[in-house]
Amino acid sequence: MQFDDKSRVEKAKKRAVVNQTEVRNRVELFRHLPQYEHGTQLPDLESKFFRNDPMHRAVYKVGLQYLAGDITGGNARCIAMLQAFSEAIRDYTTPAEKTLTRDLTAKIGSYVSFLIECRPLSISMGNAIRFLKNRIAKLPLTLSESEAKTSLCLDIDRFINEKIILADRVIVRHASTKIRDGDVLLTYGSSCVVEMLLSHALELGKKFHVVIVDSRPKLEGQSLLRRLVANGLNCTYTHLNAVSYIMHEVTRVFLGASSILSNGTVYSRVGTAAVAMVANAFSVPVLICCEAYKFHERVQLDSICFNELGDPQAVAKVSGRGDVNYLGSLGNKDNLQLLNLMYDATPSEYISMIVTDYGMIPPTSVPVIVREYCRDQLWI
Amino acid sequence: MWRRSASFILDKRNDTGARPDFVSLSPPQTTASTMADTLQNPNAKVSAYYQTRAAHHGVVTSDWLAQAQAAVGKYSPESDVRSSSSAAADPGSGKPFSVIDEFNNWRKQPDLAEAVAAIRALAAVIRSSEATTMMELEIELKKASDSLKSWDTTSISLTAGCDLFMRYVTRTSALEYEDFNSAKSRLIERAEKFGEISYKARRIIAMLSQDFIFDGCTILVHGFSRVVLEVLKTAAQNKKLFRVLCTEGRPDRTGLRLSNELAKLDVPVKLLIDSAVAYSMDEIDMVFVGADGVVESGGIINMMGTYQIALVAHSMNKPVYVAAESYKFARLYPLDQKDMAPALRPIDFGVPIPSKVEVETSARDYTPPQYLTLLFTDLGVLTPSVVSDELIQLYL
Repeated sequence: MQFDDKSRVEKAKKRAVVNQTEVRNRVELFRHLPQYEHGTQLPDLESKFFRNDPMHRAVYKVGLQYLAGDITGGNARCIAMLQAFSEAIRDYTTPAEKTLTRDLTAKIGSYVSFLIECRPLSISMGNAIRFLKNRIAKLPLTLSESEAKTSLCLDIDRFINEKIILADRVIVRHASTKIRDGDVLLTYGSSCVVEMLLSHALELGKKFHVVIVDSRPKLEGQSLLRRLVANGLNCTYTHLNAVSYIMHEVTRVFLGASSILSNGTVYSRVGTAAVAMVANAFSVPVLICCEAYKFHERVQLDSICFNELGDPQAVAKVSGRGDVNYLGSLGNKDNLQLLNLMYDATPSEYISMIVTDYGMIPPTSVPVIVREYCRDQLWI
Repeated sequence: MWRRSASFILDKRNDTGARPDFVSLSPPQTTASTMADTLQNPNAKVSAYYQTRAAHHGVVTSDWLAQAQAAVGKYSPESDVRSSSSAAADPGSGKPFSVIDEFNNWRKQPDLAEAVAAIRALAAVIRSSEATTMMELEIELKKASDSLKSWDTTSISLTAGCDLFMRYVTRTSALEYEDFNSAKSRLIERAEKFGEISYKARRIIAMLSQDFIFDGCTILVHGFSRVVLEVLKTAAQNKKLFRVLCTEGRPDRTGLRLSNELAKLDVPVKLLIDSAVAYSMDEIDMVFVGADGVVESGGIINMMGTYQIALVAHSMNKPVYVAAESYKFARLYPLDQKDMAPALRPIDFGVPIPSKVEVETSARDYTPPQYLTLLFTDLGVLTPSVVSDELIQLYL
């Protein structure tokens, strides 16, 4: 939904479970994206936690976790959502006069709207929901309710296992063949697949050095740094503004992705495009590790038409440093707007290779995978 | 220099008791290669792939071969297997050995590509197999394929050809037939068909590329590719007027051989030293190369010097066309020049080099897809990004 259309926004607000108040001072270019006051609705939602209606408690819990920022990362969010749906389906009973398929689909739809209100869906979650709705629609009518529910829960478990967990293992196996002794690998932010890859390469006994590039306001690289150093890897930590300074020493760049679009564009954490561009300028190969279920047939040419806006105050403030408040008095001025983008789009020319559970493919082959997936009914 | 005459080979044979195929290319100072051990790659320092090509490109004609074979027909029991040119494998000897023999048998024809010889050999394995179940047959095939691949690990087209053959043949729905014999005959049929397609690939590529050679054009050729030679032969037969610039192709001297062949066809040829490519690039209309292997990114692995030429052509906006059969599509993805299995080839500079001086002996390089314009394959005229498409469809 485009959020600069006032009438639609009004209608959506009436149906909303979560009462969000919109930010007053908004950047014109991004009016089509939702932006709410951060942290105002959490107490209100927490008070409604123990009601089982209209939202199943597992779904409610996951929504709150998204809102509070406890679960981040495409895979983690998708797995949490699917497990919550699985629980909800187990506790579901078909009301009288209704068919299972239609009613359950409507219920899942309402859960999804709630989750969207907490935090806009990532593309991986969108694909998983499409898969689930497709499985519900394909349920044979002869099945009894309990059989249908078990079948759906099994399907969800299989999806998580095959498309995420096993896929990650395959990706790690393929990508670790590209790490040689003496390499200096660069990664940006915190991607779970890249972390698994680096740990696996360490287990294989390869000798390499890791450079972790981080950026404000999320500073996701710090948690990755902690875990890798605890594992015994040699790491260097730096911020995004130093990436061109350090790039001449780097031999490979490994990045994660939230999604890969049909024209080979990588949709990932904001800052990834800058890292890929600098790597390209230094002729350093850029490898993206991404599971195939995150691929989407959409095409995006820039980072503006589809994105997510985070809390603008996070840009102005530094957590843990209350004294850093240079913008304090200017916060409510009309001619100052704060923008906190979450994602950006990296053009395919900067990407050397994409490692998926289908093997190593060039960026031009993403639409081929999307086409083959759909044809074999593996996913849609 | 080396002259390979039948008598020379026969003398050597009588001295050391070895086969004539593996004439060593190393300079005379080094110790003689192990010619007795014919089932392994005789000289591990030199990639067997390049050894074979060089051996073929010596003055080895089929009459000479027949003569040599006849001369030693009484010498060793192995020659019995060799002299039988039919596909019957020797049931007495172990299976992997006869695959290699079969393979070597096919390989002797200088016009036959290595991968096609391997495909024919594998087809022969199916035909002569004594397995009674599909599983057993597949295992046997896999073992034969592995032994062929391990014979020369540096040859990309050999590995790719074997892998593609296995996928193509075992993908058949004939495997669901109840009757093993009919399934087996179906497999043999597919194997033969694959062999036929691979064999005819050169003709198909030659026909497809005719549209791209126009009258009055100047073509730059690098390396001695039999496919490119076929293309140029067909163009000459179709009475097109064009001229060819050949690079010298050190250290294999491929340019000299190619210019020899082209001169026979009455095509105007000009030889360049390898460094003169950029100098001559503005009078060139297109660049034609073959490929040792086509990798998943759409790039090619070819004789050393191809990358350089592609870079120069790209910067001067000249198209680079690659003629490669589809069995050369490999599931490799090099990120840079050093990301491949090394294939070394000793270089003879003509003067002794001090031992402190290192020599870069790699025989091939990787050309990334952005420098290639089109690939002429038996599947059609493709852009480099289609290679991955084809591989995904086959392996998915």
